[in-house]
Amino acid sequence: MTTLSTSQATRTPMAAPAAHGKRIWTPALWLVWAVCLGLGAIGMYQRIAHGHLPAGYGSYVPWGLWIAIYFHGVGIAGGAFAVAAAGYILALPGFRHPAALRAAIVLAFAAVVPAFMAVWLDLGHMERASRILTAPAFTSMMAFNAWMYNAFLAVAAVCWVISYRRDTGWLKPLLCLGVLLALMFPSQSGAFFGVVDAKPYWHSPLLPIMFLASAITAGAAMLLLIRGIIGVDSPAGYGDADPVIFTAAMARLRSIVLAGLVAYFLLEFAEFSIVLWNTQTHAPALDLVLFGPYWWVFWIVHLGVGGLLPFALLLTRRPGAWIVAGFLVAVAFISARLNVLVPGQAIGEIRGLQEAFQHPRLNYTYHATAMEYLVALFLVAVGMAVYFVGRRISKALAARAA
Amino acid sequence: MNQANTDDAGVRGSNGCMTRREAVRAGALVGAGLAVAGGTAVLARRAKAPPDPSGPGTIRSLPVLNNVPPRADEDVLLRMQRELVKAMAKPVEQRRWIMVIDTRKCVGCHACTIACVAENHLPPGVVYRPVVTEEFGEFPNVQLRFTPRPCMQCDSPPCVPVCPVNATWKRADGIVAIDYDKCIGCRYCIAACPYGARTSDFGERYTDGAAEGCPDGDDSPLFGANAPWADRPSNEYGKAWRRDGHQSPTGNARKCHFCLHRLEAGQLPQCATTCIGRATYFGDANDPDSLVTELVTKHNVQTLLPHKGTKPRVFYIV
Repeated sequence: MTTLSTSQATRTPMAAPAAHGKRIWTPALWLVWAVCLGLGAIGMYQRIAHGHLPAGYGSYVPWGLWIAIYFHGVGIAGGAFAVAAAGYILALPGFRHPAALRAAIVLAFAAVVPAFMAVWLDLGHMERASRILTAPAFTSMMAFNAWMYNAFLAVAAVCWVISYRRDTGWLKPLLCLGVLLALMFPSQSGAFFGVVDAKPYWHSPLLPIMFLASAITAGAAMLLLIRGIIGVDSPAGYGDADPVIFTAAMARLRSIVLAGLVAYFLLEFAEFSIVLWNTQTHAPALDLVLFGPYWWVFWIVHLGVGGLLPFALLLTRRPGAWIVAGFLVAVAFISARLNVLVPGQAIGEIRGLQEAFQHPRLNYTYHATAMEYLVALFLVAVGMAVYFVGRRISKALAARAA
Repeated sequence: MNQANTDDAGVRGSNGCMTRREAVRAGALVGAGLAVAGGTAVLARRAKAPPDPSGPGTIRSLPVLNNVPPRADEDVLLRMQRELVKAMAKPVEQRRWIMVIDTRKCVGCHACTIACVAENHLPPGVVYRPVVTEEFGEFPNVQLRFTPRPCMQCDSPPCVPVCPVNATWKRADGIVAIDYDKCIGCRYCIAACPYGARTSDFGERYTDGAAEGCPDGDDSPLFGANAPWADRPSNEYGKAWRRDGHQSPTGNARKCHFCLHRLEAGQLPQCATTCIGRATYFGDANDPDSLVTELVTKHNVQTLLPHKGTKPRVFYIV
């Protein structure tokens, strides 16, 4: 049955990236990495030398671009792991090999490490970050979330290790636990905002579901992108070296991203439509999203580049277009995070507070600064490096195990 | 061989669904995971005792105003100060500090804001008690209303449960305190406060960018960038906090604490002392004879954003 759906998706199996794609992409990826690292190093210097002073966030908008990156990163990690692990457990073509699973685990780490770095750099006291694990208050969704990520990383790491063993009697059970965690922490990311009654725009029970939908969408899109341009490595010619398996995996991921896009935008429409027809407390924040100075983030980046364009590309029968769609979704879906994060903070409950004591950090507007963007590039470079190193280790261990 | 089988050609992989043993193990792991997560969430909701000392050890015998006999026509500041001394003679858990602000008397001079900045050595961008100005009507029929906004010291403070490291809590006397040495600076509490009463200390200094003057110091009577007053410690929570070298409270969330360090010394909060219109009142709501109790019970008082369910301890006479 799975074979049927695969052959329906494309007329002919797609050439695997292992055959020729790597040669095209490798120099480009190195160039992107070098640029991100070089520019990002400037941002990191500014962050370390001058603390938070060059940042654009303040006390009335206390969270900015880095927090959006954080939630986007952990969403990708959870989504990618959940999709790949479910595929492995269900023995779907293109997912049933441990190499495919390992690629997703490495991707999850590559997404989580820069995400953690983003939130770490955002802390006022970075040296005290470990307190969230050593002295947590579980009444806080932040502490709950932090423990959940770490539990997930531990489970994912164990899965990665035992995936090399012949006796895999614990792999699938652990993957089930990993899937549970991978579904819980993106939902909790939504709850992280949803529990804040002070921000009417955040205080919605739909938010955890939207965050989960966006995590699975972005995670599957990232897998689509990774498999499309790099593939998964394995000995004995398995997997993405085989065009049939490669196409099956791509078709499955394409379906998940399509379904995820539909689900996310439906949920978003449900949320927005209630506000548009009941212009009460949420309305100013939604006005900001749709018609504020950053209207283009919603209409162009989020809806156009992150929604409609990839949707159209995914509807084609060209796997090359799916890869582009995966890239667009994986990157542009950060706008979904920003569109929740910033407008929610940009509307104060006490009218006139901003004018009561004036200072650039006591302002309900937020513009990310050059330092924040440069650090974001550095985080991209870190993610790429983690993926590269993880993939090399995976490959070496797989060769040894074979 | 069909395409599905091709996937497993020559390699070990996942074949079919889980075995019964795997399914049992998976069920046990997932069940245990859910139980741990759920149990943790429930246990975390149990009320915890504040970390501060309580009981007879917190009784303060303060000699303030001992030599000033009370008079019927004395200033309300003197009356509140006597009541403060009386309240401090009780254990901390028997005090209930509240603030009453008479908006009819507030003239919008911002003296309380500035006094607070001076008292707590607040850096740029950190404010505990701004005065919000609202304008009603159109020119020339314009009316102004001033609303000082300290921390509301809520009885259901939304800032407390969101702190991931227990760095902020509700004291027995009702003041919401912050332990600057524990705070990691995540700013979740700032986002959670509907009153915008918490601000983050990003490390700015009023002397940033100031001229240093000549090395001999002849032309720098105010010391410029090296002004010694900039490094004077604040005394919040009864401890000397030096901000140099990114020490706390730099990097922390900060907020009004009803000048707790002054209360311990028998002094009223600086904003109440400084108010030129005598519009700010402070005292113990557990004292039925106190001025604040009298004001709250005899006047039409309101709280800010009552629909948020935070139960503020700052009352406004309107």
